[in-house]
Amino acid sequence: MVAAAGDEAVQAGIEAAAPLVCTEITKVFGEDLAAALTLLDEGASRQVVQERTGCLIAVRDATFSVERGEIFVVMGLSGSGKSTLIRCLSRLIEPTSGTVEIDGTPIGDLDDEGLRELRRSRLSMVFQHFGLFPHRKVIDNVAFGLEIQGATKADRYERALQVLEVVGLQDWTDHFPQQLSGGMQQRVGLARALCVEPEILFFDEPFSALDPLIRRDMQDELLSLQASMRRTLVFITHDFHEALKLGDRIAIMKDGEFVQVGTPEQIVSAPADEYVREFTEDAPKTKVVTVGSVMRPLDGETPAGEPVSLGAVLDDVLPRLLASPEALCVADDQGQVVGTVDRDRVAALLDEGSRAGAAAGDRTVEPR
Amino acid sequence: MTTAAPSAAPSEASSTIEARLALDRQRRMRSGGGLAIGVAVLVAVQIALSSLGGFPESLVIPLADWIDDARRWVINNQTSHWSFSFFFNPVSDMIDWGLRAVEWFLLWLPWYVVVGATAMVATSVLGLRAGLLAGVGVLYFGAIGLWTESLQTVALMAVAVAISVAIGVPVGIAAARYDRLQQALRPALDAMQTLPAFVYLIPVVLLFGVARVPAIIATVVYALPPVIRLTNLGIRTVPAVTVEAAEMFGATPRQTLRKVQFPLALPSVLTGINQTIMMALSIVVIAALIGAGGLGQVVLVSLRGLFVGRALEAGLAIVVLAVIMDRVTHGAAGIGTRRRLRLMPDALAHLEPVRWVESVLSAIDGGLSRAGSMLAVPMSRKLGVEALVRHPRKVLGGALLLVGTLVGAAIGRADFPGAISFSFADRIDWLVDWVRDNLYEIGGTWFGTGWFSDSITIYAVTPLRELFSSDLAWPVVVLAVALAAWRLGGPALAAFCTACAAGLGFLGMWTLSMDTFAQVIVAVAMAILCGIPLGVLAARNDRFERMLKPVLDFLQTIPSFVLLVPVIIMFNVGRIPGIIASVLYALPAATRLTNLGIRQVEGEATEASKAFGATRGQTLRKVQLPLAAPSIIAGINQTVMLVLAMVVIAGLVGGGGLGLETVKGLRRTDSVGSGFVAGMAIVLLAMLLDRMLQAWTRRFTPVAGGN
Repeated sequence: MVAAAGDEAVQAGIEAAAPLVCTEITKVFGEDLAAALTLLDEGASRQVVQERTGCLIAVRDATFSVERGEIFVVMGLSGSGKSTLIRCLSRLIEPTSGTVEIDGTPIGDLDDEGLRELRRSRLSMVFQHFGLFPHRKVIDNVAFGLEIQGATKADRYERALQVLEVVGLQDWTDHFPQQLSGGMQQRVGLARALCVEPEILFFDEPFSALDPLIRRDMQDELLSLQASMRRTLVFITHDFHEALKLGDRIAIMKDGEFVQVGTPEQIVSAPADEYVREFTEDAPKTKVVTVGSVMRPLDGETPAGEPVSLGAVLDDVLPRLLASPEALCVADDQGQVVGTVDRDRVAALLDEGSRAGAAAGDRTVEPR
Repeated sequence: MTTAAPSAAPSEASSTIEARLALDRQRRMRSGGGLAIGVAVLVAVQIALSSLGGFPESLVIPLADWIDDARRWVINNQTSHWSFSFFFNPVSDMIDWGLRAVEWFLLWLPWYVVVGATAMVATSVLGLRAGLLAGVGVLYFGAIGLWTESLQTVALMAVAVAISVAIGVPVGIAAARYDRLQQALRPALDAMQTLPAFVYLIPVVLLFGVARVPAIIATVVYALPPVIRLTNLGIRTVPAVTVEAAEMFGATPRQTLRKVQFPLALPSVLTGINQTIMMALSIVVIAALIGAGGLGQVVLVSLRGLFVGRALEAGLAIVVLAVIMDRVTHGAAGIGTRRRLRLMPDALAHLEPVRWVESVLSAIDGGLSRAGSMLAVPMSRKLGVEALVRHPRKVLGGALLLVGTLVGAAIGRADFPGAISFSFADRIDWLVDWVRDNLYEIGGTWFGTGWFSDSITIYAVTPLRELFSSDLAWPVVVLAVALAAWRLGGPALAAFCTACAAGLGFLGMWTLSMDTFAQVIVAVAMAILCGIPLGVLAARNDRFERMLKPVLDFLQTIPSFVLLVPVIIMFNVGRIPGIIASVLYALPAATRLTNLGIRQVEGEATEASKAFGATRGQTLRKVQLPLAAPSIIAGINQTVMLVLAMVVIAGLVGGGGLGLETVKGLRRTDSVGSGFVAGMAIVLLAMLLDRMLQAWTRRFTPVAGGN
């Protein structure tokens, strides 16, 4: 419903290239940038650069691309540089080096006017503390982007009302933001971002200021919206569970650098290092790991019974596994049986996690 | 020998304690020693130079003569030189034209339209009760026979404030955008706010002569800082994420400013305008010295002729104007707080007649609203302005005022009717006589206000003045300033303050400066002795605080010069009323900040002290006052600056010192030079005191940081 008519055309035109490609983005805060960059090129560590030049490396060599319709989550603790990174993507913060390409256009080359045009037509952002305009009614907040573009009042109100209906706030149009609860305020923030029909949406920890239950509702709502609108999303969070739930792919960030980039399943089942493993320890693995990655390849006979899908997560098959000691057969997309899964395989996976956790506890590892 | 072992430990411990105490003593000695050495040096220098006394004539720079030369040049070139024909004169003409236009319009309006408009505006912002009071206040202008003068003052204010806003808001916006500009402006604004209004008059007179335009220019210069500051502050305090959101939607800097930053900064900007209006009003009387006319002129002329009653009538008119303008603009700054139409205080709401009155009022209001709608709906359709429909009362009010104006113009009866007349000048004059006959020496005894002012003069002001200006050799005074400044803020401050102090001498204003300085010291001492205990009391007693608040509010709203009038009634003219008025003028600052400082300590620190069984007195002495010190010292800082401003103004009513010299320069063209130099001496004195006090305040700030 949010998808516009021009969607197909755009899709056809840029099918080949990813809408957002970032190459070696680095952001350094400080005075002596040249010296800091030279040191970085020589491979100096963040601490060394800070000691020698007084410059802070907020983001270092972030390289990634986001596909159309994908939710790309950047997960990191506070101070890891994720908020700086997302601001570099729209040049709210100017990256020190590296390029950001949106639909093949390097945005670093745009002048002020071009950048404004890009932000008006293609990008949108949802902010951690909402960033709503307290002096404007809900509807004028939502219609702000169109107002900036010079749309008539009738046009922008019509569109704003549609979007407000999508987020369920059609009865609150004439209230002021402060009169709304936190969850509702962020719905306004979301509606405001959607109102301009952007191709790419940036989410800067949008749900972290919300209560846990409201947060879950908002996550579900975002997923269902995304299912219908298929935009390109970059989502920042410090909550690993949120990253697992929303992300098609997740980048884990530490001290300004990507530690690991992968699908939730890849990260949970094969953490790149100790730092990532600590996050995965209490992760709900059965919600992430698919049957395909724990199945035993087919050797000989095929067990009887209804096959489970290769791409199903373990949670979906656990009731059946617990109900019978028999192995279940696994089928691929074409319905071809390709392997089996049984209790032992699942138990082994879960056990591995708990043993790693116990080991970590013995060594009393520092959290960061 | 075996007994030695157990006794060793305690002795060791006691020795460390003793060492610690000794160290403590040493440290105290050292800091006391520095002081003692300083005093010894001063005494030695004094003995060596005791014959020197005041500042020698031979060292004085003849700045006054140069200024007089400049003045002559200005007079001779006013019609010929390009800077006048292309800049100063056109600016002057434009302001004059604007002022005449506003004044003509206000006086052309029928008097009842002015009263009604004021009442309506006040009602819509503050409620019905305030509206009626505002209407009565405006009637007072006419009733005391000062209708024209009052509206002249209003016109002067309107033009001055309009110019201040027209300059201040754009400058504030620019300062918010460019850090460099903000940094460049800050010291200038600080200086503008530190200096007494007085010193602006002479340079303006030098360039523009004595007339109403220079009065407006001086007012603008004096009243400009708050708008700039608060516009800048308001825009800078808009949360970064809000601005970021606007940028993210591709808003241009202009759009961001117009649609996001400025609307959010508006309350702050309005507060700035409110402060500007109040500052402009406070200078209105002083500006009369250079030909501003209006109410200030009446106060000034009456006081010079010792018609205290008339002065008080006119002074009260200024206070009424100040209160109306303050409350209305203050109310307007608190946007979005819609007030209910109520006449009676809420406390009486349960009484039957009150409720009856209120219901009648709300019925009338409903009727007005409906009548307004009948007018507003067709009007909005015709004019295509939707907004009219939402404000039926305002449309109706505007229509009524318009009709009133037209009727007044048609029948030609716009002047304030002589029938409405009221005067209490006679009674005040009688009171002045009565005070002189009865209170100066109560019941023929030695005791009375006369004794009070004589005591202050004989035992405090005169000895201090003599001490500074002639008993002490001038290098001793300068050296004392240098040492104090060094202790407070290090060598840089010492150099600055020494330069300022010595500058007083080089300007040839040593004796007069010391006179003013002595008055400042006495007034500050009195203000602190009254203000801080009052603040402590207010902090510990909520009821007392509530009682004190309106008194302090009132004292802060009264323009400084008007405050002199009632004091003169009690103490006659001379140095003492100036000092007493300074104390009253500065009291709110000392009291408020003491109260605030102590109240901020409330909470855990106070509770902890109580939990250890401290008495209220102990808690106050050991916890609350030390923690409140930064705030109290900030209060003292403000007190000194306010006192200085007032003492200078009191030069007009016999206070003498630098103030009087400045006024002389304004009154007589042949002493413009010495008046200008006196003004510069005021600037030096103000900067010296301000820098030293700020250094003192800074020394205490870490204590608050540790809290």
